[in-house]
Amino acid sequence: MVDAFAYVPAIVALPFVSFLVALAFGKYLPKGGAFGGIAATAGSFLLSLWVLATVAAGGQHVETLYTWVSTDGIAGGIGPQEIELTFGVLIDPLSALMLVIVTLIAMLVHVFSLGYMNDEGEPDLPRYYAGLGLFTASMLGFVVADNLLMAFMFFELVGLCSYLLIGFHFREPGPPSAAKKAFLVTRFGDYFFLVGVVAVFATFGTASFAGSESFPVLAEHALAGEFDAWTPFGLEAGTWFTAVGLLVLGGAIGKSAQFPLHTWLPDAMEGPTPVSALIHAATMVAAGVYLVARMYGFYVLTPTTMAIIAFVGGFTALFAATMGLVKDELKQVLAYSTISQYGYMMLALGAGGYVAAVFHLMTHAFFKALLFLGAGAVIIAMHHEENMWEMGGLKEKLPVTYWTFLAGSLALAGIFPFAGFWSKDEILYEALVHGLNEPLLLGAWAMGLLAVPVTAFYTFRMVFLTFHGEPRTDVARDPHPVRWNVKGPLTVLGVLAVVAGTVNMVPVQKVLGIEGIDLLHLWLDGHYGGFSELTSHHYAELGPYSSGYIAGGEVPTVLIGAGVSLALALGGLGLAWKLYNVAEPAEHTAALGGVKTVLYNNYYQDELQVRLAGVTAGVASAADTFDQGVIDGVVNGVSSVSLVSGDRIRRVQTGVVTHYAALLTLGVTGLILVLGVLGGWFL
Amino acid sequence: MIIEALIAFTFVSAMAVLLAPDEWAGRLAFALSLVPFLGSLFLWARFDGSGNALTGGELAFETQIDWIEVGGYTIQWFVGLDGISLPLVVLTAFLVPLAIVSAWTPIDDRQSQFYGLILFMEANLIGVFAALDFFAWFVFWEAVLLPMYFLIGVWGGPRRKYAAIKFFVYTNAASLVMFLGFMALVFSLPVETFGLPEVTQSIAAGELGSFYGIPAETIGLVAFVAMFAGFAVKVPMVPVHTWLPDAHVEAPTPASVLLAGVLLKMGTYALLRFNFTMLPDQASTLAVPIAALAVISVIYGAMLALAQQDLKRIVAYSSVSSMGYVILGLIAFTVYGVGGATFQMVAHGLISGLMFMAVGVIYNATHTRMVTDMSGLADRMPVAVWILVAGAFAYMGLPLMAGFAGEFYVFVGSFGSPVANGLMPVFTALAMFGIVIVAGYLLFAMQRTLFGPFRLDTDYELGRAPRRETLPLAALLVAIIVLGVAPDLFFEMIREAVVPVVEGGVN
Repeated sequence: MVDAFAYVPAIVALPFVSFLVALAFGKYLPKGGAFGGIAATAGSFLLSLWVLATVAAGGQHVETLYTWVSTDGIAGGIGPQEIELTFGVLIDPLSALMLVIVTLIAMLVHVFSLGYMNDEGEPDLPRYYAGLGLFTASMLGFVVADNLLMAFMFFELVGLCSYLLIGFHFREPGPPSAAKKAFLVTRFGDYFFLVGVVAVFATFGTASFAGSESFPVLAEHALAGEFDAWTPFGLEAGTWFTAVGLLVLGGAIGKSAQFPLHTWLPDAMEGPTPVSALIHAATMVAAGVYLVARMYGFYVLTPTTMAIIAFVGGFTALFAATMGLVKDELKQVLAYSTISQYGYMMLALGAGGYVAAVFHLMTHAFFKALLFLGAGAVIIAMHHEENMWEMGGLKEKLPVTYWTFLAGSLALAGIFPFAGFWSKDEILYEALVHGLNEPLLLGAWAMGLLAVPVTAFYTFRMVFLTFHGEPRTDVARDPHPVRWNVKGPLTVLGVLAVVAGTVNMVPVQKVLGIEGIDLLHLWLDGHYGGFSELTSHHYAELGPYSSGYIAGGEVPTVLIGAGVSLALALGGLGLAWKLYNVAEPAEHTAALGGVKTVLYNNYYQDELQVRLAGVTAGVASAADTFDQGVIDGVVNGVSSVSLVSGDRIRRVQTGVVTHYAALLTLGVTGLILVLGVLGGWFL
Repeated sequence: MIIEALIAFTFVSAMAVLLAPDEWAGRLAFALSLVPFLGSLFLWARFDGSGNALTGGELAFETQIDWIEVGGYTIQWFVGLDGISLPLVVLTAFLVPLAIVSAWTPIDDRQSQFYGLILFMEANLIGVFAALDFFAWFVFWEAVLLPMYFLIGVWGGPRRKYAAIKFFVYTNAASLVMFLGFMALVFSLPVETFGLPEVTQSIAAGELGSFYGIPAETIGLVAFVAMFAGFAVKVPMVPVHTWLPDAHVEAPTPASVLLAGVLLKMGTYALLRFNFTMLPDQASTLAVPIAALAVISVIYGAMLALAQQDLKRIVAYSSVSSMGYVILGLIAFTVYGVGGATFQMVAHGLISGLMFMAVGVIYNATHTRMVTDMSGLADRMPVAVWILVAGAFAYMGLPLMAGFAGEFYVFVGSFGSPVANGLMPVFTALAMFGIVIVAGYLLFAMQRTLFGPFRLDTDYELGRAPRRETLPLAALLVAIIVLGVAPDLFFEMIREAVVPVVEGGVN
């Protein structure tokens, strides 16, 4: 039998080859190398499906492929543990699912790019497709990574690719600045991540995710007193693990754009729209949440870390959603919705809802890719106008875009029975039942719940302003038509946004008692294939939470929870309907008063960061003054005090090579003499 | 005899180039410099050493003959390579031909002397890394200064005289301090040669005695501090670094490439050999101040780079920062720490070489290096610019490029290191913040100069950089990626050579 797992490296390698091909031969290829990219991602997608099927048939796989640094021939016991650094693949239900999501979105983004980039006559297409290929390859390498170091390395490459693609239009002033900001802010998070990686190696001597010698398992043993983990400053193992977990979390907060490192993401809209879709749905931003899910066995061991993750997530969900309320540009609304939705995923992870988080990661990937590509279609139609106030009434002109965008919006707003409803509802449910015994978690849940109507409101404000009412400009009256390469990806994702929720209908299962329709739970719990230490029930056993119910039981809790969140979502939708689903909508934001200014300026965090950068620059220039004035001043002072010697040096410097050669010979002779004298030669 | 043959060939080449006419001195020097490069590859392929040269390991290509008898001491001609010195020899022999090619465009005056000096310097650099007798080593060490002094003083920028004298006097004064320290050490030992292995093993055997009534412990500590101070200037570490930016800014591109690429490594190499291998106990005693100095070098150097407007000054200060990582790795006394430091020497040699060369290419075309004078160069000279971008990311420690490997090993090695009273996690975490600052100043500089709308404030037509300027950049980039993907090419032999050093330190 042919083993699907033998082809896992090819899943990563194919987009990488497409990167090389586009880079080297792109300008000689039709469409600037687009077909190579499509073929490569399609190949990866098919292979990923095969891998998924193999896992479904009971497979799992972990294998070391390449030893980056071997420890052959080195005696053990020197300083910290001898550490081998390797690259390998880990295929379990989580990574197999993620592979399918990433390759699918990447493939659709490649196809869509034909319409968005090629048909629009963009220059430098080989560079664009090379960037997409490398981006996809880096993300896939990150997904299959079997240890934390490899994950970090591909995580950084993902950051590089985002830099290259966000700054794609480098001839304009905006994109290079946004690219720099994206890399720098996420680098700040990655600093903590790297310290965390180093700490994991120092503590456990390994960074493997899976197996009995993996660091989450070793941490488990260490807490049970069965393994002697290294800790600095004589810390308790539990305290130190909390610190390590928080350090790694820094990377996740940066990449997944959680508060306070989210500011790069709205700026990243400077990149081409298909790139935004890729970054937000399947690659860079997803990487942070995926990282936490990947090493969830480690996080569940430390309650403090879990609480912080939940709180950061819940806060980000609400905080970002409020900023989305007043934005004028289509992509800006979507940007804040991305931050907010990843906040929900973090909330789920912190609340012990591992499956819920992965579920939302999946449904969000579909509907957010859909919304971004839909926004891209609108932008094509509007001749690269992004301000929603210049649009209106596009519904009739762009039916495919409208209906698919509507499906995505209903999913984002969490309206039954669209995909986002199921996943968001499960997150809030998990946070509620676990939070009833944990006040901090309950606070995070409350923020998540409060964000629901806000989300529904800004989503439908966007839909109504863009597609409903009367066209407000000439361009909106006569939009540019889009072709199959735009409609195709939209249709695929539109269908997924409607039906993807059916893989995990937990409320239905709980209320009606139908077994087996919570497929994703079974999937991530290793019912088909997978490693026992990476299953959701194992995480639940390790986790710090116990469940509590309201109104006397599980079923009422499910029903009340779903009912409340659906009602809130519908409320937000209804308000948006009332205010903006009219022929000539007004802004209505004046009612917010001063709040509007605050929201419009993103709570002045960008100003804060600019000020921080200014302070850093001030410190740097003070250091420079100190260096030139004091340190170098002393050096120059010493030399000018010894004026005589300075004078000699000036005379020595004759510029004639033979003089210097003579001096050198003299010096050597003198040296021998000194040696002789000191050694007692002449005594 | 192959090491001697290489050194001798390079000396003879230097003479030949000195005598050649200016028109084709550059070509001739390049052709001749390929011989030591191929020779170094041969050394690499045939390398059969094991262990550390100083602690009695098996040397490769060893020659040891008595040379001069002085005052009861035998001066030897003693050369040989181990896993620490071989990578540095290869680095030197690889960088020199590329530096020569990078000189073709900007050097238009007294070429034969220029290229002759470069080859003369190469011969001495190989000598520094291969010599295992203090006397020969010191002669090579000092003789490296001379050509660099001229390269800066004759072909340099407007303030070349100041920079050249500062470089020469500063590093020479440092050599004196170091020399006295080493001599104090040797005269307190019952050895009969200046052979570095003999000295090392004698100290390890506990034979350090008193000298003129000064107790052995004091001698050891004073010698350590003197040698450390001497070598720290060469590295350079804060606060003895101020000669470096001046030297770099005034030096012509090829001199900068070799200065940053190889000459700075002489300092860290000597620290590893003399201070950390010979006197591990003293190093452990002083671990806290040394680690603190390393952290200060990293952070302060990076902050200085952040304040600069001259591209070359930015790269120069970032060298101070990167060399801080090397010191941090050395003081850790772990295999990853010391090995990573050694690997970082090679990695930084390639990366800083690439950066200086790329800045040189920009300068050749624009005749300015000021960040404020230009923007949007990517539009006009794409190949050079994108290689520069790749080099900048290598500098920031992007994985799968050589810089990440070196830095990561240092971090892994130093974080869990038992030295410095268990404070190494703190020092390491502080030093690691350098990876954020380096990203800051390089990304800002790139955004302003390479991207955005095209603008150039100097009156020069800007076209694509010629191939002979971009090919050396590409060669360096390939080497950086190869070493980043397969660091074991060097790291394996480095590890073997540093294990005895580490064992000496954790006793």
